[in-house]
Amino acid sequence: MSIEVTKAGMQTSIQDLGRQGLMHQGIATSGAMDTLSMQVANKLIGNPTNHPVLEICLVGPTLKFTQAMSIVICGATFELTVVNNKGSQKMANNQLIQIQVGDKLVFGKRRQGARAYLAFAAKLAIPEVLNSYSTHFLAKFGGLNGRQLKTGDVIELTDCQSPSPASAYVTAPLARSKLLASPFSGKYLLRCTTSVETEQFTPQQLQQFYATKYTVSSASNRMGLRLEGSALTELPAQNMTSSGLLPGSIQVPPDGLPIVSSVDGQTIGGYPRIANVISADLFALGQLIAGDQINFIQVNIKQAHEMLDSQHTWLNRF
Amino acid sequence: MTDYKWVTNGDTGVTILFSQPISEALSRRIIGLAKACEQQFPEQLIQVIPAYQSLTLCYLPSKISYQSLISQLEHLLEEPDRSDNTVSQKIVIPVCYAKEFAPDLQSLSQITKLSEQEIIRKHTEGEYLVHMLGFSPGFLYLGGLPCELTCPRKATPDLRVPAGSVGIGGAQTGIYPQNSPGGWQIIGRTPISLFDVKQQQPCIAQPLDTVIFEAISVSEFHHLSAISQNSTGQS
Repeated sequence: MSIEVTKAGMQTSIQDLGRQGLMHQGIATSGAMDTLSMQVANKLIGNPTNHPVLEICLVGPTLKFTQAMSIVICGATFELTVVNNKGSQKMANNQLIQIQVGDKLVFGKRRQGARAYLAFAAKLAIPEVLNSYSTHFLAKFGGLNGRQLKTGDVIELTDCQSPSPASAYVTAPLARSKLLASPFSGKYLLRCTTSVETEQFTPQQLQQFYATKYTVSSASNRMGLRLEGSALTELPAQNMTSSGLLPGSIQVPPDGLPIVSSVDGQTIGGYPRIANVISADLFALGQLIAGDQINFIQVNIKQAHEMLDSQHTWLNRF
Repeated sequence: MTDYKWVTNGDTGVTILFSQPISEALSRRIIGLAKACEQQFPEQLIQVIPAYQSLTLCYLPSKISYQSLISQLEHLLEEPDRSDNTVSQKIVIPVCYAKEFAPDLQSLSQITKLSEQEIIRKHTEGEYLVHMLGFSPGFLYLGGLPCELTCPRKATPDLRVPAGSVGIGGAQTGIYPQNSPGGWQIIGRTPISLFDVKQQQPCIAQPLDTVIFEAISVSEFHHLSAISQNSTGQS
């Protein structure tokens, strides 16, 4: 029982909701960048929300299945095709896809967003490391041998839930929520609250930050998103001592261009933070691609918690 | 008089900042407070991150409200001394300072006006306190670098510093646990791994431990390196 990687794609990796509670050992959480799409994929297939998935980034893989099983793909949209000796069939996101033995799933042209999440109705036959299946790229552990998938890799599975033959290729439109209708437009409004060093920025600098339309730089990755736009000048002194750096923190290094920390980011940082993206919006960081436009808007802690709460409620409806 | 303040660190974080200068006493206080927080809020906190002069807590708003967390923290902070006075470990880290592992020893000698031998002597004479771990898995923030060894970071960071490299940057010395980019002056390399997920305790040291560097020869380096690779199974 396995999934064979016929073509690896740009950065395909095994991720779950990440490792919590180890940042004091220097261990970033890792895990899916877009935790919302990842959890919806698991929900649609009937898995626990923390079940490991494949995170597929920008250029998708081709996967061959040696076992019948159900899968669901959420998040970024690609041209999806299931190919076998009977021909080929187009597939879509947010639907149950019934895979038969020998089927190939081809991720073609990317349409919107950066990362797709493939959930499967099976268990991974690889060990958890530090309570998670997530791949930690820097320290090379977790996932499959601590790295992104390579062509020729075989992902061993157990407990596959095989569909009945009659239901082959019947796609069930499970997801009807408007919120799932391709929200990755390329223009984002990210909501923020204050951070540790916000007070060290002048009102003019804060005004400039919230008025600037930033562009996502190509030098962005799972550690952080680098932004381009009008640089902030006359920054606070950089001699502040390092402290705990949480995902979503927006640091301003000496060049004045913000960096938004993400799931693989360093756990302690030394640049002043102008703001933090709220928890309810962190999933969107996983869908940003070079050239996307971002504006930031400030909310208060109470509003941020209400937004997180309503997101949980929305997720629990599935 | 309070010598701390708390600030929000996003919508799920609170950072307590202490106004005292960096010291062992302050680190003992911060680690003591970190342990108290872990005990008092086992379900509510998902990260407790000590640093030189701060403690960052990441909480679940679904488990504890911001106001409740802050008021309970105020109580903890007002309580009598909670400093962590557990006897810490002394950890000896073997370092080979030979040229092949120390690309920047010569330029450090020029910067500090000390001979290479004097730099090695001073570096190995020091006792370094682990203030915290962070940045990347197993990276130790060490205090106690002799001030004569202070030197600027490189203007352009190296793209790839090998794992185990021992460097000096500013008033800090440290070891790169993984291959990574880095801007410190590299003066040696340790053959042992600082982070190994196969161990019960993956990091070689914990906050408040003391680190000592012990100079070893090239042949000892290769010998220890072989042992280390066999035990971790890493290539």
